[in-house]
Amino acid sequence: MTPINKDAVLVSRQPLGGPYVLLTLRHAEVARASRAGQFVMIKAGTSAEPPLRRPFSILTVDPAAETFRLFLKTIGAGTRALAALAPGDLAQCLGPLGKPFTAPPPGREALLVAGGYGIAPFHLFCEELLRAGGRARVFYGGRTAADLQVREPFAAMGVPLVPTTDDGSLGHHGRVTEAVEQYLDAKTGPVALYACGPDAMLHAVARLAARRSLPAQVSLDPWMGCGVGTCLGCVVWTQSAAEPRAHYRCACTEGPVFDAREVVWPGEDGAR
Amino acid sequence: MTEAIAAAPRLAVEVGGLRLKNPLIAASGTFGYGVEYAGILDLSSLGGLVSKGLYLAPRDGCATPRIVETPSGLLNAIGLQGVGVRAFVEKVLPALSAYDTAVLVNVCGDTVEEYAEVTRIVDQAEGVAGVEINISCPNVKKGGMAFGGDPRMTSEVVSAVRKATRLPVIPKLSPNVADIAVFARASEEAGADAVSCINTVLGLVVDVEARRPRLAFGTGGLSGPAIRPIAVRMAWQAARAVKIPVIGIGGIACATDALEFLIAGCRAVQIGTANFVDPGVYDRVRDGLADYLRRHGLDDINRVVGTLRYPGLPVAEELGG
Repeated sequence: MTPINKDAVLVSRQPLGGPYVLLTLRHAEVARASRAGQFVMIKAGTSAEPPLRRPFSILTVDPAAETFRLFLKTIGAGTRALAALAPGDLAQCLGPLGKPFTAPPPGREALLVAGGYGIAPFHLFCEELLRAGGRARVFYGGRTAADLQVREPFAAMGVPLVPTTDDGSLGHHGRVTEAVEQYLDAKTGPVALYACGPDAMLHAVARLAARRSLPAQVSLDPWMGCGVGTCLGCVVWTQSAAEPRAHYRCACTEGPVFDAREVVWPGEDGAR
Repeated sequence: MTEAIAAAPRLAVEVGGLRLKNPLIAASGTFGYGVEYAGILDLSSLGGLVSKGLYLAPRDGCATPRIVETPSGLLNAIGLQGVGVRAFVEKVLPALSAYDTAVLVNVCGDTVEEYAEVTRIVDQAEGVAGVEINISCPNVKKGGMAFGGDPRMTSEVVSAVRKATRLPVIPKLSPNVADIAVFARASEEAGADAVSCINTVLGLVVDVEARRPRLAFGTGGLSGPAIRPIAVRMAWQAARAVKIPVIGIGGIACATDALEFLIAGCRAVQIGTANFVDPGVYDRVRDGLADYLRRHGLDDINRVVGTLRYPGLPVAEELGG
């Protein structure tokens, strides 16, 4: 659907541990039409600072209540302003935007690999997968246990979740991709990989997928100016069988979800 | 209140042969090819729109990162990524014909000949209202600002484009010069119908941890409210230097901002970075202009153009004008 630009009312705000917060906002079209992996461009109020809206994956939707939720990590001025909104406050919001995840073929288990706030699109994706009779398993990595804030919803859906932390404070002590490798080493059935998180993690998942000949989709999070393909700030260098000449594609309109094989990663052959 | 003023104030303007239903134009490089915003806003509500800069061939543009937010602004080095003028004419222009708005094409070139050739292709196409000449992009190695930073080159490019079309020709001037009046006059003498003032201001943002520029290209062009006072001053200087109309550009995000340019002498304005911040900006600015006219008992937006009260106005020569 065409994205709708309007003021979204903040319905509720739920602080989680540390810098993390859940925001519930009213925007009927986003609530009705969003698919997992899509995002909104949103900014608190109408103040001049910071100038730009920010892109956020849609965590969940409630079409009946005409609301959706965002999971934020407050990092800079934009996220701080959003996290400081009070119920009744307005946020300028355009959405839903971007291409969603594509579900795996029937019978293939979806392995969802999240790094930090990259967990955000996987809540909705698990709902979609389960509704369609599919299976999912979440690998959720962070620096420390406090970075793994969104775990209960997956347990409630009956989706297995494998936590990993760099400091060993929760789950596997090490990188999230190591836990994925361990699972794959022990498993025989077909899987498809989905990843959202820091670029280095996405690149590691892409390499892992290539090495094991597994399909993989990655959700990228570059700096984004407009969300609709006009500023050309968020472009990703890509190459595909259909278009063998490397070229830029907008993460906002042609992503943020890309086939991992089509992304020309920094440091690889053909990178710019 | 008279009957004429009680009615909706007139917002239509005429700029160098362009007839616009209102003075608000979407600026090149911030509005794609226009079609991207179809459905998000009503393109027919715009006075006009200017396409992303177009060369003969498609271009990849700069490496990433390409944008970085700054205080009240945005520094970019996109490098004129684009589909090329032929793809625009074949695929985009027909779609834009569904909307009642003036479509201007921003023409680029590495050489004077390329500017002329792109213009000839645009001139042959259906549905183009005017040509804006990009002689001020700071993010390309050839062309761009190289033409806009030397009055003789400006004159040469404008003359070549002038000869290639009967459409209104509007050079977009660079602020990265000592005296914009010189460039406005060079444009006027070379046959321009209007000038757009200003393109982005050359800037640099440093990542202090890496001790590298934030942008892959290094420097970039600064836009947004941060540059507005510079832009108003330069548009005002240009308007005092030439008889052809000036289109003001630089950090417009609300009606008051647009009015600053109009009062300073601009016949129309372009909205740029604010498109990214709020696609609903045109409705707000248009309504705000109408409100302003009503409050001031005016029935026509043209009656505010060039009405700056400036008793201590320096003589033109002191400003290099």
